[in-house]
Amino acid sequence: MSQGARFRPAKLIAGLWSAALLIILTFLVLYPTAMLLVGALTNMNPVVDGYHPEAISISSFIDVLSNENVHFALGNTLVACAGGTAVAVIIGLFFAWIVVRTNTPWKGLIATAGMLPLFVPPLVAGVGWALLGSPKTGLINTFLARAGIEWRIDLYSMSGIIFVFGMYYAPYVYMFTASALRNMDPSLEEAAEISGATPFRTIFTITFPLIAPAIISGMLLSFVVMLGIYGIPAVLGAPANIPVLTTYIFQLTAWTPPEYSKAAAVALILMVATGALVALQQKVLSGRSYTTVAGKAFRPRSLNLGPWRFLTLALAIIYLLVVVVLPTLALIVAAFRRFLFIRDVASLFDMKQYGLLHFQRLFENPATMTSIYNTMKVGIITAVIGGILAFAIGYTVTRTQAPARRWIDIIATIPVAIPGLVIGVAYLWAWIGMPFGFYGSIWILALAFVARFMPDTVKALSASLMQIHKELEEAAWICGRGTLATIRTIVLPLARPGVVAAMTLLFILAIRELGSSLFLYSSSTVVMAVKLLDYYEGGNVGLTAAFSLVQMVILGVLIGITNLLTRGAANSSVGRAG
Amino acid sequence: MSAELRIAHLRKVFATGKPAVDDVSFTIAAGEIVVLLGPSGCGKTTTLRCVAGLEHPTDGEISLAGEPISAPARGILMPPRLRNIGMVFQSYAVWPHMTVRENVAYPLKSRGLSRADQDRRIADALALVDLGGYADRPVTQLSGGQMQRVALARSMVYEPRLLLLDEPLSNLDAQLRLRLRDDLRRIVKKAGLTALYVTHDQTEAVVLGDRIGVMRDGKLLQMASPEEVYNRPADLFVAAFTGASNFIPGQVTARDGEFGAVRTADGATLRAWMPQGVVPGANVQVAVRPENIRFTEAAGSENRVTAKVTAQRYLGMQTSYDLSVFGATIEGIEVGTAVRYPVGSEVTVALPPESCWAYAASADDARAMTPH
Ligand SMILES: Nc1ncnc2c1ncn2[C@@H]1O[C@H](COP(=O)(O)OP(=O)(O)OP(=O)(O)O)[C@@H](O)[C@H]1O
Ligand SMILES: [Mg+2]
Repeated sequence: MSQGARFRPAKLIAGLWSAALLIILTFLVLYPTAMLLVGALTNMNPVVDGYHPEAISISSFIDVLSNENVHFALGNTLVACAGGTAVAVIIGLFFAWIVVRTNTPWKGLIATAGMLPLFVPPLVAGVGWALLGSPKTGLINTFLARAGIEWRIDLYSMSGIIFVFGMYYAPYVYMFTASALRNMDPSLEEAAEISGATPFRTIFTITFPLIAPAIISGMLLSFVVMLGIYGIPAVLGAPANIPVLTTYIFQLTAWTPPEYSKAAAVALILMVATGALVALQQKVLSGRSYTTVAGKAFRPRSLNLGPWRFLTLALAIIYLLVVVVLPTLALIVAAFRRFLFIRDVASLFDMKQYGLLHFQRLFENPATMTSIYNTMKVGIITAVIGGILAFAIGYTVTRTQAPARRWIDIIATIPVAIPGLVIGVAYLWAWIGMPFGFYGSIWILALAFVARFMPDTVKALSASLMQIHKELEEAAWICGRGTLATIRTIVLPLARPGVVAAMTLLFILAIRELGSSLFLYSSSTVVMAVKLLDYYEGGNVGLTAAFSLVQMVILGVLIGITNLLTRGAANSSVGRAG
Repeated sequence: MSAELRIAHLRKVFATGKPAVDDVSFTIAAGEIVVLLGPSGCGKTTTLRCVAGLEHPTDGEISLAGEPISAPARGILMPPRLRNIGMVFQSYAVWPHMTVRENVAYPLKSRGLSRADQDRRIADALALVDLGGYADRPVTQLSGGQMQRVALARSMVYEPRLLLLDEPLSNLDAQLRLRLRDDLRRIVKKAGLTALYVTHDQTEAVVLGDRIGVMRDGKLLQMASPEEVYNRPADLFVAAFTGASNFIPGQVTARDGEFGAVRTADGATLRAWMPQGVVPGANVQVAVRPENIRFTEAAGSENRVTAKVTAQRYLGMQTSYDLSVFGATIEGIEVGTAVRYPVGSEVTVALPPESCWAYAASADDARAMTPH
């Protein structure tokens, strides 16, 4: 056909387009990752020495691997994440069962409220629980003392970290297991009951084994997220001197002179561990699953718990109290009270003790407003660049025959396996020694966030692109429109809700991100999350609490707006980022 | 051991309002197989699940071997696991994370049997369903029919007092269905089990059941032997549902005993069987099965008339004709590979009175109910 001649320029353009995307992705993802590797394999300081390829050797990496402090941090990390995961599995599975399989009252509310912990930034959760559970001044201990109980709780401990991890990351296990339970043929359980098995035996010999793939992948995901969390172990672990990998990496870069290459080496360990676990999770997910029968709707089976249903309701309420209400109350008390010292319970309710003092001081400090302003700026840049890039990638991968689109997809997915903190270290290595002041500008933060959240954004956008029938596009081509005109007149308008949602999501993810910011901010580009940590480390509890509340309100409003825009689709993605 | 099941005035109303099972009563003798037959949504599964204890009846009483197992009015509700009932689910519900043996062994685990006893029973059950060589296969590697038989073995291995089967063959292909249908009756009878079987397939019901119960909209319309259901349907719906697809409207002119005379639209008289309550003067629909129309020339038989052939469908082993007669168009089937009457020709047919059933109802209802 004569079309052959006409197709050649189109092919060339497609090739150029793929090349452009690959270059952008290399710049955003591959180059920093490679530089992290370089950093791990040298013992130079790029700020002082610049980059010297000849300094690369395996020996410094081996030094780090055999360093006792690293072993200690690694051991702590594994214990904290394993313990936290165990707690998360127990809580998550229990709630999945309550919501999907029982007649507990207000199930819908429990299901929705149970996702709230995902939105609490880890640092805020840590601060909230430090206020409640610090060994000497914690509010809970004040109450215990008041009630004449000898026993004290101490959240500044490994068990404290495990407890808070487990509480806040249980929703991952819940998400996976609840949907597996929903997709499971209830007659499998009924058959066991008829065979003579007690409900208890049915759960442990039929239900749980059948949803094992979902349990395992929820477990792995929560483990991975905990591995990369900085805020909680920073707040709860530091006073008791319990370093984990994330806090240890940050410590290394905070020393003078900063140990950048050691930090890179430890970050590499963290990345390899994360990558392995993510790969394992994907394997479990893609492996044979007994439960997901696509398109088959089962009549939900709900176990009549009788009076026990009030016990399950009570447990759900206690959980919400513990993860949302108590820490929020603690933050409110600390933020509005002049002095946190509470002599007795009566003084807790003494209104004269309360005022807006901390908020005044918070906003009198110009750094506060600067950090909010910076955060919004980074958020908007991230949302716009990330949204456009993700749309380009999503469209190219799902809708075109462009060359190398497999590779584009793969590279865009790599950041799934890189904790935020590691991305921070990688970007640090990639740009700190470079001229033209990119490092230290607001742009490096934004680009690091774009890279970090790329997989989530591309996934969300691809899903909304898939919903647009190919025929709609083909109809436009047949009408004589070119590819670009088709995208502009057909695809974009149809995908707009998806694009808007993805951008809003990116904005929210960006403004709550701490891990990668830690290594990339400069005195003029401090963002909210970093400033909060700064206040916390400065020891000012009132300011910290007040700023935490301000951030929670900002986040809450934005998440509310997003949910309106996307009808809930954002929940899971906010969670993934930890 | 197998026991008698007695259901009295069973009612089940879901939150949605309309009763799914409405005042259903019947008894299954020990060792008998009863089939519940009816169109989709008529409440068969709900009845079965009430007997199993998976659904809690709103009202009525279910007793097994004389002992009440569900009696909401008296606050009696025995949990399924204590009922000692076996059940085969429509979706098989074999546990995919276990082997064939583990599936079949599961019910024995909670019954405190000795190891040797368990092994013997498992072997017996697997032999009964012809799966002796498959004990150690994961069930996910079995075919649909084999899974079905695992489900059957699992439900019989503990010698339940009653076996419940919910459309166990509906997920299988036609050939396998035929084979398993015959196997199923043989196996259940061999084990001497009382069984309640649910299906919407008439042939399955006829082959399997000692008695058939026809349900509609939650009500049990008739419960009788297959011959009786096919030859003396209790009402127009049962007649239509079991395949009497011809309806001749008319008016009863006389009645003597079980039979009577019906004047049809063209003024002819048709002799038909009449259930109780149909009196002279009543408007009726006479239901006739296409298979029961005789293409006969022999004089002297009753209801012998000349009909005009208006359409003809050759089906290979038989031919179906549309016949214009008695002021209506009815379908008649003649078995045999030859087509004997061309369209437009006249043919003499006879409608044996014992196969013509006059019911007081409108044919439109019945046609709407007929499964096609
Ligand atoms: N759990 C339930 N909640 C509400 N309505 C129900 C429930 N189970 C069954 N029903 C309703 O009760 C009626 C009878 O349902 P049932 O499952 O017993 O029908 P069936 O005769 O088994 O039909 P089929 O041949 O399609 O399986 C239907 O109208 C159905 O919608
Ligand atoms: Mg059914």
